[in-house]
Amino acid sequence: MGNFIAMRRSTDGSLHLRNPAIRTYLVSLLFSSLSESHNKPPNISHLNSQPVIGSSFRVLQSFSRFSCSSFEVETIKKLACFHHFFVPPSGVHWFSSQAVIEPKTSDGLTVDNIVARRWTILDESESDWKSHAAAIAQSIQLIKKRLQWKKMVIRLEMLSAELNRSDLWDDPVHAGKISREHGSLMGKMKEVNGFEQELFEHIDMLKLAREENDGELESESIRALLRMRRSTKEKELQALLSGEQDSCSCFIEVQAGAGGTESMDWAAMVMQMYKSWAQHRGYGVTVVDEMPGEIAGIKRATIKLDGEYAFGYAKAEVGVHRLVRISPFDSGKRRHTSFAAVAVIPILGDVSSRFQINESDLRIERFRAGGAGGQHVNTTESAVRIVHIPTGVTATCQNERSQHQNKAMAMAVLQSRLDQLEMARQAQLNAQHTQSLTEISWGNQIRTYVLHPYQMVKDLRTNYEVSDPDSVLDGDLDSFILSFLSSSLDKDEDNL
Amino acid sequence: MICRGFVVLEREMNSSFPRAIRSTISPSSLVFKRPKPPFFAALSRSISVSSMPTSPNPQIPLFLRPPKFSSTLSDLQKWQEWAKSIALSVGSKFVDIDNGPDTILLCRELKWLLEDAVEDKSTVPELGSAKNGRLVRLKADIEELYVLWKQRIEERRPFQYIVGCEHWRDLILSVQEGVLIPRPETELIVDLVGEVVLENKGLGDGIWADLGTGSGAIAIGIGRILGSGGKVIATDLSPVAASVAAYNVERYELQDKVEIRQGSWFEPLDDVKGALVGLVSNPPYIPSHLILGLQAEVGKHEPRLALDGGENGMDDLLHLCKGAALMLKPGGFFAFETNGEKQCEFLADFLTNKLETSFHNVKVVYDFAGIQRFVTGFHN
Ligand SMILES: C[S@@+](CC[C@H](N)C(=O)[O-])C[C@H]1O[C@@H](n2cnc3c(N)ncnc32)[C@H](O)[C@@H]1O
Repeated sequence: MGNFIAMRRSTDGSLHLRNPAIRTYLVSLLFSSLSESHNKPPNISHLNSQPVIGSSFRVLQSFSRFSCSSFEVETIKKLACFHHFFVPPSGVHWFSSQAVIEPKTSDGLTVDNIVARRWTILDESESDWKSHAAAIAQSIQLIKKRLQWKKMVIRLEMLSAELNRSDLWDDPVHAGKISREHGSLMGKMKEVNGFEQELFEHIDMLKLAREENDGELESESIRALLRMRRSTKEKELQALLSGEQDSCSCFIEVQAGAGGTESMDWAAMVMQMYKSWAQHRGYGVTVVDEMPGEIAGIKRATIKLDGEYAFGYAKAEVGVHRLVRISPFDSGKRRHTSFAAVAVIPILGDVSSRFQINESDLRIERFRAGGAGGQHVNTTESAVRIVHIPTGVTATCQNERSQHQNKAMAMAVLQSRLDQLEMARQAQLNAQHTQSLTEISWGNQIRTYVLHPYQMVKDLRTNYEVSDPDSVLDGDLDSFILSFLSSSLDKDEDNL
Repeated sequence: MICRGFVVLEREMNSSFPRAIRSTISPSSLVFKRPKPPFFAALSRSISVSSMPTSPNPQIPLFLRPPKFSSTLSDLQKWQEWAKSIALSVGSKFVDIDNGPDTILLCRELKWLLEDAVEDKSTVPELGSAKNGRLVRLKADIEELYVLWKQRIEERRPFQYIVGCEHWRDLILSVQEGVLIPRPETELIVDLVGEVVLENKGLGDGIWADLGTGSGAIAIGIGRILGSGGKVIATDLSPVAASVAAYNVERYELQDKVEIRQGSWFEPLDDVKGALVGLVSNPPYIPSHLILGLQAEVGKHEPRLALDGGENGMDDLLHLCKGAALMLKPGGFFAFETNGEKQCEFLADFLTNKLETSFHNVKVVYDFAGIQRFVTGFHN
């Protein structure tokens, strides 16, 4: 496979990958098929700093149908550098710089100083100002970590540089995108700086009150600190979902691994788990596409979750889920291990940033009962499958009740898949872009559910575990999701 | 399952006429009118004046009925499990007999029936997991649900009659016994009209006719894309169809745009002779001798009046083609659905070459399955 990647800049400014192998790689990155294949799993670990595909992959006999030559990998790297070339060197910044100045108290205390002093954090009910201040400082630090502060600062500088270019508005779509992202990051940064400022004001006020022996002012400052302690604690949680697409609705796809009915049953259980979870959270749930197994379960299914932060939470579920139990489908009552793969695709709210689909690139396939059709046939089957020819990305919908609606839904799925593909591509071209969680963990085995000989659900990424699989399978997933989101953002020291 | 599958639809498959005519149907044999069922034959003669439908009250689709009933979640779940088990027992039996529904399709229909029957759709996904005595409000008695599903499987009663509606395009149309369930192929007629209206704004502001409107599907679809001056007159011989169509028109608040008239083909349209900008129809087109072998859902349950097109299936189509020239304004557009290649080719030739006032731009249009399905054109 010695081809090179031909890229063509189209009128809408997006790049198209011409090489089918890379294309397929990107597609499989989004939602690898669990079907069996004889090719060895691709080694694409040099593309990202972390291996995309873990060894658990091999258990499933490979998700992907080709391998990617190192030549192509090199080309991608070069392209990334090439792209970099056009980006003005960072350090040249115009309007983001003052926001980065670190706020201090009058006597030079900063958030980092306070945390470093390790003042004991007491219960909220203790009216001790140092304890409150330490708790607040800790929260602020955590929020910054979760916002990936360092990367945010760099990204902001880059965006500011671009906003200062004189030819910015030659491409209004791009300009709009840049200024929206800049605005949103600035907003986040200002909010956190505001917290710091507020904390220091309270501390300064308190010190002043003490100097002046003003008991009333002192207790008012302590009360203010307590209020702030509570509100920053709440913000910690919100900061977990501060990614660009986190607030979006999304699709969740579940696909059964090899292993016949037992694994198809497992895939159906996983899907049911998400349906219940989404319902508890108050999301709208629509089944988009479902391929039932011959005897039980599903081969694959797609659901749509409508609601705020559906993607932000659900993205924590991307990966392979493993079940160990005595199979009800095995007359010999043996223990079986099965796998189901989960993919999550955000539904972008910002229309201008969506991948532009060219109508003539689509092939629309519709179900029909054989024979004469028309008045001869009455069927409620109205499945539609749409293929995006240049990328090979497809989407199927058969759960709506009219062909018209199935087509509309399949288009929505296709659009989101292509959007995600585009995002993955941009992530590779843009070294500054923070790698999304979905890209990092896709393909990895993330969680094990053991029903026999003991009962346990364990997340392999966080080691978080519970001993009650039934409640998890009934949709009680929040603690798994939150522990994953916080661990992946909090442990990364680079984020501060 | 062998003959089911995806058919690849090339975009722009609509090849344009003319093509070599290979039809073996002789025109003379086609002029022969099949005997109408006596009741309707009498009707078609006696009703010559257009009249607003006064006939039977149309049935309300299940999903629109008030939730007067209730059941415990676990009883509902029991019903669901029972219904699923008989759907499973069908396997591919119906597919083998007459290309009817298989288990997968029946299971999907079961889910839809449940969605239509419960007051709150969001309880459906809970059925799988919750095992409790909580009450759910239903739009049909649980006993009735047992009866309905039995009819679906044992009598092959069409799913759309069971729930009283069909999802067609972005519409939900009420249907009941006596009215043809609109087909997905027919969705395209509305798109074809949409295209010509887009090209020629004048067509969007004139009077259209949908002959043999059935549930009113095409008329309503067109009514929603016409301009402010546009209007559709929809006719049907069947009083049940006329009243169901009127009900659907009302549900979409199109009374000002779509007028229902009861009567045979052009008879109720005397007042708009030569004034129509568009004429569309999906008339009965199945050759009489094929009616007996139809899929059970169709042959045993849908009205013969809506299906039987006479010896060659073209009795009504020819009648419509002959009348079209009289009814349409110069430049007016027509679109007819047909049984397939043979009828399309015959009619296209007939319209181009055999009539005194001829038509131009006569085209054969393929349906999504790649079958030549529609004949369209313009009056000179
Ligand atoms: C194939 S159905 C089409 C119904 C509807 N237009 C659709 O596409 O779903 C044919 C319709 O023509 C009506 N029909 C049959 N003979 C007729 C006649 N002589 N005059 C008017 N309508 C007639 C039937 O009642 C039936 O509703």
